[in-house]
Amino acid sequence: MSHSEAGLGRDALAYADTLHNLARYLTRSETDAEDLVQETYVRALAAAGQFTPGTNLKAWLFRILRNTFISQYRRQRNNPTVGGLDTVDSGALGPAEENWLLGDIELDRLRKVVAGDIERALMSLSEDARTVILLDLEGLTETEVAEVVSCPVGTVKSRLARARAALRQELRDYAR
Amino acid sequence: MPGNAAMDCQDVRLHLLDYQRGSLDPARQQDVRTHLGGCAACTRVEAVEQTLTELLERRLPVHPASLALKRRLAAAWPAPVRTPRPWRRGLWGWQLAPGLAVAAALLVALPLLYYERATVGRADGTAGMVTEALNDHLRLLQSERPLEVESGGIHRVKPWFEGRLDFAPVVPFAGDQEFPLKGGAVAYFLDRKAAALVYGRRLHSISLFVFRADGLAWPTRGLRPIGRATASATTVRGFTVVLWRSGDLGYALVSDVDPADLLDLAARIVGG
Repeated sequence: MSHSEAGLGRDALAYADTLHNLARYLTRSETDAEDLVQETYVRALAAAGQFTPGTNLKAWLFRILRNTFISQYRRQRNNPTVGGLDTVDSGALGPAEENWLLGDIELDRLRKVVAGDIERALMSLSEDARTVILLDLEGLTETEVAEVVSCPVGTVKSRLARARAALRQELRDYAR
Repeated sequence: MPGNAAMDCQDVRLHLLDYQRGSLDPARQQDVRTHLGGCAACTRVEAVEQTLTELLERRLPVHPASLALKRRLAAAWPAPVRTPRPWRRGLWGWQLAPGLAVAAALLVALPLLYYERATVGRADGTAGMVTEALNDHLRLLQSERPLEVESGGIHRVKPWFEGRLDFAPVVPFAGDQEFPLKGGAVAYFLDRKAAALVYGRRLHSISLFVFRADGLAWPTRGLRPIGRATASATTVRGFTVVLWRSGDLGYALVSDVDPADLLDLAARIVGG
């Protein structure tokens, strides 16, 4: 192992928690999440020479994790994404369906949603939607999110907006 | 729908997250603000977005990796073995060694070694302190037992340092719901002992190192006021390091959290 690879490994290990969190939300299983993270590090180690110093290591690891998930776990689970975000009819998630949130009482109910309900609502979304919400929560830029999910930078903002709109819709059932 | 002619409701809603994070350019930020000032519907949507963000940031359960997984990862991709700095470990060993010859050697060697370290420190300047803080943070994270005292609150952690350090660490911030105090450990910062306190922020760990400030090449440029102190903030490889002095003590705060969050915590620590 070269010194640079060892240094990269040392830095990469600091992201184990965040990688596992995304893996857990993607796979829905603790065992699968651990396997996915472990496989991600194996692949990252093999590709350490391809990492560009000065770029976001966390985003690089997220991309490897997601690609690994797509190539191995998603096929195995035979659970393809339902309704990719780029194909969602924007009108279906537009302001008209969010009227339930436009009153003070409804907004106050939303504020009282508990952790388990948020998790269930997030889990009910498509895999793409879950991913962009979690990557945004991790503080990745639009460019970094685009690299992780392999989409044009210009579509990240609208993907995220649709994903959050879908999450708000799901939360409607818990906020009543 | 009322609003600024430059942006309609659809445009504004697409940019609401960026607006709330202050990441739009000033002109666009003003356009959104103007539109919101005249559009009750978009103002309500903004409140909803803000609520959703707060729910996600504060209540969405997080699933950190287990210690067993971290051990397996470390075994597969071991961190480089850190070679002890010869005079850091050596000094303590030599002090314990009996004999006048050893003492005499120390008397000669110590000033020379100190001079060498101080010179190197000044040559490296801030970069050396930033690198040290980052390495210490990563070392703490990867340590099998990163915390020697688990937090039952600051009143349990602070007394624990008594007798373990040659100074009293001053840490006015006891942690709160946003930045819970996880615990502490004794560490080293460059050539001196340090109190390491670890705070949490969602999935992330934040390390605070408190140490004697004398003899170090503290940054003098690019400082910003944080509470009663002036601090430097540097971002390296996705990590941010905030350095400041207060009295005789130096502080290094480091994490991969959002820099704004880290500065927020720094202000709480400085301001007590």
